[in-house]
Amino acid sequence: MKNWQALVAAVFLFAALFVPLLVPTDYILQILFRVFLFAALGLAWNLVGGYAGQLSLGHAAYFGVGAYGLALFSKLGISPWISVFFGIVLAVICAAMIGTISFRLRGPYFALCTIAFAEVLRLVAKNLPNVTGGDVGAQVPALFTHSATRSFYWAGVLLTAFAFALTAWIERSRFGYYLMAIREDQDTALSVGVNAARCKLWALLISAAITGFGGALYASMFLFIVPDQVLAMDISTEIAIVAMLGGAGTLLGPLLGSVILESSAEIFKTVFKEAHLLIYGVLIVVVVLFMPEGVVGTLTSKLGRFKKAPLAPFAAPAPVAAQEETSRAALNE
Amino acid sequence: MINWLYIALQAIINGLLTGALYAIIGMGMALIFGVMRIVNFAHGAFLMMGMYATYVVFQATGISPYYQFPLAGALLFLVGYATYMGLLRPIRGQVDFMVILLTMGLALILVDGAQLVFGADYHQINIPLLSKNIHIGPQISINAPWLVAFAIAAVLACALYWVVTQTMFGRAARAIAQNPYAAPLMGINVNRVQAVSFGIGSAAAGIAGSLLLPVFYLFPEVGNQFKLKSFVMVVLGGMGSIQGAAIAGLVLGVVESLTSLYWGNEWALAVDFVLFILVLSLKPSGIFGSQRA
Repeated sequence: MKNWQALVAAVFLFAALFVPLLVPTDYILQILFRVFLFAALGLAWNLVGGYAGQLSLGHAAYFGVGAYGLALFSKLGISPWISVFFGIVLAVICAAMIGTISFRLRGPYFALCTIAFAEVLRLVAKNLPNVTGGDVGAQVPALFTHSATRSFYWAGVLLTAFAFALTAWIERSRFGYYLMAIREDQDTALSVGVNAARCKLWALLISAAITGFGGALYASMFLFIVPDQVLAMDISTEIAIVAMLGGAGTLLGPLLGSVILESSAEIFKTVFKEAHLLIYGVLIVVVVLFMPEGVVGTLTSKLGRFKKAPLAPFAAPAPVAAQEETSRAALNE
Repeated sequence: MINWLYIALQAIINGLLTGALYAIIGMGMALIFGVMRIVNFAHGAFLMMGMYATYVVFQATGISPYYQFPLAGALLFLVGYATYMGLLRPIRGQVDFMVILLTMGLALILVDGAQLVFGADYHQINIPLLSKNIHIGPQISINAPWLVAFAIAAVLACALYWVVTQTMFGRAARAIAQNPYAAPLMGINVNRVQAVSFGIGSAAAGIAGSLLLPVFYLFPEVGNQFKLKSFVMVVLGGMGSIQGAAIAGLVLGVVESLTSLYWGNEWALAVDFVLFILVLSLKPSGIFGSQRA
């Protein structure tokens, strides 16, 4: 990130931090909290799904473990913030286990495997009422008691800022380039000595830590959680969609995606009531068909600027793939 | 006491009856995956559409779902065909990523669309067959609708297998599955075959929904659990193997039924996923398949 870009980001951060002083109602602040929370989650997902190109559809696992970590550890009498920390540790441990198994798989197999893990966690949380409270739910302590909505908003902004800064740094680091190399062609990356398994796992661990913290914030905001809410596949999809809508593998993508998705969801909630996910579906289909690189990806490639920006992900057209196949076949002969 | 044996036997029979319906859902998914390498996240939504279509026709005419299921099949064939032509064909050649996202988006649209049109209420239909039970010996009884559904599903599964293995269309579909680049060079119209395969796969889900309607609750999200189960079946059977998916469906039905019997109903789906993860991590080519992951 160049200096002027860092400056712009810092200005935005300060502007975001001052918003609560201007916004009169808690309602709007809650929506903004959601926007920033999902921006942070999208940024975290982006490390695995965007830069490393591994389509995780099970991030609800880390989100839910973070949320339940806060709820259950504080039930044992541990103070809330330390419980948050334990929850994050637990989410990272989960990520290590899930990653070790699922990263051996590629493409759709990987995506399906991450779904399966998240679903197993959800079902276990549902079916062990003695531990988690089951479907009845678990109480979550408030992390902020004084002017709660503002504090949650600030926490959301700071988490996003942290995830953003981390992503900006990773994008320019050797680690980031390894991840992008894995995305573009894992076999080639392996052949030039990139330890793909370790890189992907590290990306997932970092991602899971941020997601776990996000889950704890979300849970504490609602003060009450059930498995079908925090461990649901809806959370996994929402996180992935936020990042992909804005542009997977871009720094600004998840931010923009979260603004678009959360605000449109909020607007359409009044129109469609329970069916407000309809707008998600329409947005996804439109983006996939007309902007396969996401909003940011499509804009940057249209404008032709930011030449140093990472290659447009996932846009290998069919003929190239066909050529690859034939050239590979030729090599085999 | 021999009693536990009867209980277990009853559970296995129930499992096989459910499993036959799973099998056609899984076969549809396996056909789509085999020919197009598409993991269709809208499969459950298609099943839901089949259920609602049958429900609407039943409410209007009173014809039993067991007679009018071809209607749902035809409707879903058209939906599948149109989905392929309109949505999937334009993004062919892009990574699986985008296809998964697109079908997920489509599923959201269909499910929430159903919610808008029909509301979130649970529906159930009542047909005279529901109260009939067939007794085998003193201990074992079979609910008649399940038996009818089983018979229809078995016939359809055999028909689908015959189509894929014996007809020219099936041969073309398998050729595309084997090598999508060489198939068009052999004069196969890849687009048409893939569209028809997607249509047939979707029709299988729709028919399964139709057959499930009398014995199940109907609500907009009903397809989700079957979608997840169809993933499990396709992986268990070996990705893209149609007969593998069919066997996996029966296995899944029995495993679920036994899990419900001994551990409780709430663990059945969890056992599905554990099985799924075990197969993916130990033998990703599937138990009955030979393809590499």
